[in-house]
Amino acid sequence: MKRIIPVLIALVSAFGQLLFAQQDWIRTGTNLGVERVRLAVADFKPGGADPKTTEFLKVFNDTLASDLDNAGIFDIVSKSFQPLKVPGTPQEMQLEAWGNPPVNAAMVAFGNFGVSGSDVAMQGWLFDVKNPGSPQVLGKQYRDPASAQNARTQAHRFANEIIFRLGGGIPGIAESKIFFVSDRTGHKEIWEMDYDGANQRALTNLDTISLSPKAAPDSTRVVFSAFAKHGLELHMYSRELQRLVSFPRYGGTNVSPAWSPDGSKIAFSSSMKGDSDIYVIDASGANPRRLTSSKGPDVSPVWNPKTGEQIAFVSGRSGLPQIYVMAADGTNAQRVTDTGYAVSPAWSPNGQFLLFSWMRKYGPGAPGAQDIYIMDIASRQWVQLTHDAGRNDFPSWSPDGRHVIFQSTRSGQDEIWTMLADGTRQRPLTSAGKNTQPNWRLK
Amino acid sequence: MAAAGNIYFERDDWRGSLLWSATAHAIFFGGIFIYAAILGGMHAENWGGTTTGGGAMSATLVTSAAIPLPAPDIQTEQVLSNQSKGLTQSLAPEVQPPAPEEIPIPDRTKTKPKHKQQTSITPPRVPPPDDNRVPYGEGGPVTTPYSMVNLSGSQGGLAFNQGGDFGSRYAWYVNVVRQKVSDNWRRYEIDPSIPSAPRVYITFEITRSGEPQNVQVAQSSGIPSLDISAVRALQRIDTFGPLPPDYSGGRVSVEFWFEYKK
Repeated sequence: MKRIIPVLIALVSAFGQLLFAQQDWIRTGTNLGVERVRLAVADFKPGGADPKTTEFLKVFNDTLASDLDNAGIFDIVSKSFQPLKVPGTPQEMQLEAWGNPPVNAAMVAFGNFGVSGSDVAMQGWLFDVKNPGSPQVLGKQYRDPASAQNARTQAHRFANEIIFRLGGGIPGIAESKIFFVSDRTGHKEIWEMDYDGANQRALTNLDTISLSPKAAPDSTRVVFSAFAKHGLELHMYSRELQRLVSFPRYGGTNVSPAWSPDGSKIAFSSSMKGDSDIYVIDASGANPRRLTSSKGPDVSPVWNPKTGEQIAFVSGRSGLPQIYVMAADGTNAQRVTDTGYAVSPAWSPNGQFLLFSWMRKYGPGAPGAQDIYIMDIASRQWVQLTHDAGRNDFPSWSPDGRHVIFQSTRSGQDEIWTMLADGTRQRPLTSAGKNTQPNWRLK
Repeated sequence: MAAAGNIYFERDDWRGSLLWSATAHAIFFGGIFIYAAILGGMHAENWGGTTTGGGAMSATLVTSAAIPLPAPDIQTEQVLSNQSKGLTQSLAPEVQPPAPEEIPIPDRTKTKPKHKQQTSITPPRVPPPDDNRVPYGEGGPVTTPYSMVNLSGSQGGLAFNQGGDFGSRYAWYVNVVRQKVSDNWRRYEIDPSIPSAPRVYITFEITRSGEPQNVQVAQSSGIPSLDISAVRALQRIDTFGPLPPDYSGGRVSVEFWFEYKK
């Protein structure tokens, strides 16, 4: 018996260490930031007796609540907790009712909205409940021609103002657009939609295969790759003219264009000289310059949006595709992923993170899932964002750097999904046909 | 008796076989051991060895990788647990160790230790069940004052030096500053061998348009890596958002302290 005791002690301590390690992992999973602001979004009070007010007010309230909920920086108070007396103006606001349990709000957004004549008019306020001395953080009023679309726009604008103030000067994304590829008409065409999946509409009608749309930083043009007479060529769509504009043909296969952050250049992958390499052209399509010359394909370039001094791309020079980072003139290429099958890099707006799609275990006998990963460029540390849900590819950052959009097969076929950049709150945006290769721009 | 004599005779015989058996086993296992020790190493891969691919990147734990998004540091319970009275129950709030300069407030709600009544005939009084308390509002919204930061054990705080009553008038802006700095503080930059460190005080100014300027270490912690990580946290920030429009001053000075605990 005496001899068993040391063995038992060793076993127990080993088990304890196991427990300890597990605890560590869990703790890190939840401690990625600080407490969010608890925000109550009161339903806006109807202002005016016009019969259309009710209809538009519902659109407005739903849009505002969903925008603020989607922002990712608030802890939204459930509407069922809110006081019954809804304030429409600052005089009707009773801070105690909103600051005390069960509401416990730190901030409250409220106001009134109504149709008067041919216009919709709203007045909105944001109050700091915990600071009764000077509660007002924000006050706004808008007036637009009466339509449901304008009610939505007003809600988007007011939400953006709140997010801008409380989110540390980063513009909200409520009015941003997503460009993507959809085959719901039978052919793969370029489409656009609002950031929340509303207002989906086709931009092109080429009856061919169009791929990888990328909007310019000012969103005036969309460059994409589509089958022309002799293979995939770059095409340019002007959103101002609402039609295709002429663009040079290079020969070979030309895919995966990407805009430089100042909108003056486009990087893309081309096989115009045989091997598939990264080229850079002016935004007009002139002056193609070759950046890489390695054996094996180089595709999917993306610029560092913060500096414009670096380009991340996918290269097969060492066998399976891996993510590389090089200077914008093509020098100093460094590999950043070590194993598996890594594609589709996307660089965060602040230049600190890379998103990419990674099959960490690839090959026969190693059934690896394809998931979205985020990597801190400076430290090369990475975190897996999607788990156990279909094949996930083509991540794209929201302009505020808080959201990620990507395509996933988890619902049975390729659809576009969105989530916060820490991997939480995943939800689909599309459901009709196959929708792929999303790209997110501010307007 | 003769039979017994036979048995002893046979036992004498076993000794020889036993010796043979032991020797043969020893040779067999010894052979396996030598084979494994000497030959096995030639074609086996070392576990955790360097043969698993390029060395471009070191795969690390999820532990300290930083994501820009704020996930709630402490899950507050009041969101879900409040609606049905008594059915659900909040977890006990985490007890934060008091800061050294705080004077502990005597806790009057604590139940007094019961006197020993076991020997008396009267049954021990059942204490009123705390469990049925309506857990409204537990873990409320902002338990710490606006100028405190809690980061998984580490702390930070800030003070606005100029602008008179800036901190009280624009508490929401102070909150934004606090949140943004702590979001951009990368704890993996700190020397991992340090269990805890004294405070490092950073001062900086926020311009009218919200940009941090003149980031300086006002008082070093004595740990260079902590000082640098604190300065870098500020350098990563482009803007805190413009100062409140009705604020008359041109800029505000901020003192932000970081306290590191593993």
